[in-house]
Amino acid sequence: MQPPQVYVITELWTAIIIVGGMFALFYLMGWIGLKQTTSTDDLYAAGFKVGALVNGLAMASTWASLATFLGVSALILKLQVPFVYLWLQWALSIPLITLLYGTSMRRMKAYTPCTFIKARYGNPSTIVIACWMILVMVMYALGQLIGLGQTFEILFAVKYETALIISGIVVIGYMVAGGMMGATYNAAFQMVVMTLTMIVPMGWVMKVMGSSGWWMPPLAYGDMVPSMLKMIPTFFDTKYDFRWYFSLIPAFTLGPVALPHLAARVFTSASLKSARWAVVWFLFFLGALFSGTYVVGFAGNFFQATTGIVIKKPDQITLILQLVYSPQWVAAFVLAGAIAAGVSTLNGNLMAIAALAGSDILGIIAPQMDAKKRLRIGFVVLAIGGLVAMILSFNPPTFLVTSILWAFGLLASTATPGILLGVWWKQANKYALLVSSTICGAMFIIISPHVIKSIVIGKGLPAALGMSGGLVTIPLSFSLFIILSIIFNKMGYAPSQEEKAVLDRIHGWNDYREDRYNGKVWPWVVAVVCLVISWWGLQPW
Amino acid sequence: MKEKAYKKEILVTIVFIIFYMLMGHTASLFVLFPGLQGLGEMWGFPIHYIIPVLTGWFGMVIVAIFAAIVCNKLDDEIEAANRADEAASGKGGE
Repeated sequence: MQPPQVYVITELWTAIIIVGGMFALFYLMGWIGLKQTTSTDDLYAAGFKVGALVNGLAMASTWASLATFLGVSALILKLQVPFVYLWLQWALSIPLITLLYGTSMRRMKAYTPCTFIKARYGNPSTIVIACWMILVMVMYALGQLIGLGQTFEILFAVKYETALIISGIVVIGYMVAGGMMGATYNAAFQMVVMTLTMIVPMGWVMKVMGSSGWWMPPLAYGDMVPSMLKMIPTFFDTKYDFRWYFSLIPAFTLGPVALPHLAARVFTSASLKSARWAVVWFLFFLGALFSGTYVVGFAGNFFQATTGIVIKKPDQITLILQLVYSPQWVAAFVLAGAIAAGVSTLNGNLMAIAALAGSDILGIIAPQMDAKKRLRIGFVVLAIGGLVAMILSFNPPTFLVTSILWAFGLLASTATPGILLGVWWKQANKYALLVSSTICGAMFIIISPHVIKSIVIGKGLPAALGMSGGLVTIPLSFSLFIILSIIFNKMGYAPSQEEKAVLDRIHGWNDYREDRYNGKVWPWVVAVVCLVISWWGLQPW
Repeated sequence: MKEKAYKKEILVTIVFIIFYMLMGHTASLFVLFPGLQGLGEMWGFPIHYIIPVLTGWFGMVIVAIFAAIVCNKLDDEIEAANRADEAASGKGGE
């Protein structure tokens, strides 16, 4: 088979009608959502009345970005099964948020983790953490924009740069039409679209490839395994040492735990109990979508091995498989799914930037400012963030997930320790958070290969994705935070009674007891273990 | 009663973290104990591939169901302990 120069939709109008029709539905649902928005509770938390099933779907939709829809299969093309293992653990994000602090903050009626940071650590820490979160959201948005650009490139057969500008216009249109964070029903609908457009068309591809398991794409491609092993004997090899796999925990499991737009989905639940049942639905639907991406990655490798064609833009493999094996109208549905994934997540990222700037930061710097003016400034910061992501996306990395995965490591180095220790340890100190977050965040950036190329921990993909750097800075951040907290507290800067009382209250107690969440031994154990892990990360990769 | 509920909260949180982590990072066990990789096939896939995929999907769903049941029950126990405490101290509810 001769590879075409570029893969594009040839039946353009069929594709435009399908993608346009799908978007008309999204816009309509967004507009209805906006009409029902009458209060801040409605805007940020859908009135705290979303049921478990819808919220579970909305959680999955918020999580499932273009990184899931396009990026996973792209990296499975390169790393094969180890990247499946890397991706699997991401389903842990919402369950850990819910278990470790989501339900506690739901008791506070917090809209973002920064609401908690402010109550627990005060204003300066909130500003620092909010700034880190904005940077993370910009890097997250960058990955979505790259994926959207590549999708529109296929749809309209235009250059990547032109496709990027089209992406920007579509996203702005979506946001203006009401695609707000509060439009939970829209997010839930988009998850259904994403799952169906990922899994059902893959059944067609598998059938053409000769698999008898086409009726159940996520789990029934086992009959293709012998052929795959003949062509790529190392496909299922674990390939890397235990440290590579262990680094997934700090770099990728702990990062998303602090993602503000994910945490917000836990806060939007009708009740604490409903939030926990929403997690069950989240895992079920996200598992289906994730498993769908693994079969795409498998089929992508199979396609390359059987045809001899090397995909030049791996992020397009999900779409290319459909263009090669399915009718054009089926490929158009998959394009619509990809655009839904990108636009909804990008919308969530940008809205989180607006909330962080307009509500969390300005609420501290200018508490007297009119709420409407704060909202306006929030949207200006949103626009600047979007613009920065747009400019960076004109020179994209080979894989769109690079910026997103790297951002997770940054978040875990800066925000996760403050949130988790703040919820579970009364001695967590605001000055210690300021110091450890700033030092470890800056260190994570410096030792990554993206800034100063001569100062890098690790090499290759683990360094680019922030795995090797994260194994050093994330445990160090926990350790530094604990040790500095103990030192500052002994120097007379201990948390106030009011700050400590927050813990008992958000855990559901109606009284205060000094000995709750106030262990003496386990913080030292965690600090020492983390130091050892950090030292392990410093060893040559 | 509150002391018991508090200890249970800590225990439940630790136990579910462990179970979630085991489900999400099952693949690491196959790397740590390479002998497990040669245990055969399931549905046509090598065991060290399909088991992590299944635990990462259905395994986590099962843990989440248990977590919902246990943590929701724990919430009830904490509320009951709060009410008992208020009754003992002669305070009314909110």
